[in-house]
Amino acid sequence: MHDPVIALEDVRVTYRGGFLGGTGFDALRGVSLDVAAGETVGLVGESGSGKTTLARVCLGLLAPTAGQMRFAGQPFGKLRQRRGQLSVVLQHPEWALNPRLRCGRSVEEPLVLIGVPAAERRARVAAILDQVGLDPGFAARLPGQLSGGQRQRIAIARALITSPRFVVFDEAVSALDVSVQAQALNLIRDLQAEHGFGALFISHDLAATRYVSDRIAVMLEGQIVEEGPAARFYQTPEHPYTRALMAAV
Amino acid sequence: MSRAVVDINDLVIGYDTGTRQVRALDGVDLTVFADETLAIVGESGSGKTTLGMAAGRLLPPEAQVLGGRITVCGVEVTQADDPTLRQLRHDRLGFVFQNPTSALDPTMRISRQVALAMGGRPGSQAIAELLARAELSEPDRILHAFPHELSGGMAQRVVIAMAIARNPELLIADEPTASLDASIRARVMTTLGKLRAESAASLVILSHDLSLIARHADRVAVMYGGRIVELGPAAAVLDAPAHPYTRALLAAAAGNEEPGERLRPIPGTPPVLAGRAEACAFAPRCLFREARCEAERPEARAFAGRDVVCHRAEAVIASDAPPRQEVR
Repeated sequence: MHDPVIALEDVRVTYRGGFLGGTGFDALRGVSLDVAAGETVGLVGESGSGKTTLARVCLGLLAPTAGQMRFAGQPFGKLRQRRGQLSVVLQHPEWALNPRLRCGRSVEEPLVLIGVPAAERRARVAAILDQVGLDPGFAARLPGQLSGGQRQRIAIARALITSPRFVVFDEAVSALDVSVQAQALNLIRDLQAEHGFGALFISHDLAATRYVSDRIAVMLEGQIVEEGPAARFYQTPEHPYTRALMAAV
Repeated sequence: MSRAVVDINDLVIGYDTGTRQVRALDGVDLTVFADETLAIVGESGSGKTTLGMAAGRLLPPEAQVLGGRITVCGVEVTQADDPTLRQLRHDRLGFVFQNPTSALDPTMRISRQVALAMGGRPGSQAIAELLARAELSEPDRILHAFPHELSGGMAQRVVIAMAIARNPELLIADEPTASLDASIRARVMTTLGKLRAESAASLVILSHDLSLIARHADRVAVMYGGRIVELGPAAAVLDAPAHPYTRALLAAAAGNEEPGERLRPIPGTPPVLAGRAEACAFAPRCLFREARCEAERPEARAFAGRDVVCHRAEAVIASDAPPRQEVR
């Protein structure tokens, strides 16, 4: 058995507030969660439940106040050492893409950072654009000349070009129209089958999450209140809060 | 048949982008009756927001009415002068927009904003009662709050309270729950529905969320390419769609699939119209198209308890499942 890509063990995060940190706010209150290679874990919950804090811990952007985060069986170490190994796709592709950079350049940029030679970079950009279903001609366009769905494909291509071992999708399909959302969800499933990355899919939309995930964790007030295979979320989940979420599907 | 609150006849609206003209509405016919909830569904660019805003003539200056009429509560909106329009908007229309935090003035306490919407000089007791009708708990605390101190769901309830303050005859809600969490969407929609029923107003919901519509609307109008392509009772349209676009939308939405089943996105992209569509706008993406669809503009016709704009409606409704794409 391989080590999970991400292993969280009783992670707590306290945001300090007030003078000298007099009053603290516990954003995560003892969360344990594993994400294996090739697996998508869905994370659902309302605003303020700690979803994004958990994502920041998984990406190494935030050190837990207590508890442990291990990346592929090892302590996380410095962000710099993890370059190209983890990645994130955000809700609005506008936030991820520089509006003045041609899309091809945006997609290529992560490879420059990890020092891949130019000739190889060009080949990999062409390959990843093909995988996300875009014509190579899109490399020469600016983000403003693309539709929302196409921009999100560029953002996904940029996130995956370094073949990361772990990807966070933070509300990655929430801003898209129904039919474009379906394309993006299918794309995420196909790319994962091909690349085998572990993924954390964060959303408040249970319908989309259960479609794309293998397992789902439900968060409420900084804790995981239910966790189980996605198939269970097509039937009757156990926790009353999950049932309330199901009613909205 | 009950009284018509909104009557739209062959409405054509274009946007002048400077270099070219883009047609947002391409001949819309629609009647909204008193005391009903009508949902207008469509993707971005289908024209649903243009249609909703046209009812209050709230369109940006580059929008031009190129033809047709739109009558709201007996007022011909495209011709009306400013005082008539202002009175119509103030007394008989209520708007609920997508993002409650940008619909509220960030520099004004809630009590003052709500008082302005109510008109006159209402006392804080009256304002608190209005907020309580919109099912806000602790209305007295909210009165003194600024918009940034409220959660999204609370802010949207304040916007709803302002929309119903003058007991309007028509409420227009543009994606009322899109910016809210899934867990409170249903409750906000229930509040909106309850308030509509209390005042016997008409509610028009503009949305792309089909599952939301299924529970809250009496009738559904599906928009594509600036036209209403299917219009009928919610149960009929959503259970047995007669237009291929309605059918494709339902197949693409996550939520109805079986575990392991693959969603079927609609191939291609929505059209951007430069002028009147002389054929079916959906034909290039349609699985049911035949030669006629690319040559002849379909007109609305009554079929299977609804109005549908499609040459192939009989074939669409008869096929029990859309052609499946391979499941991997």
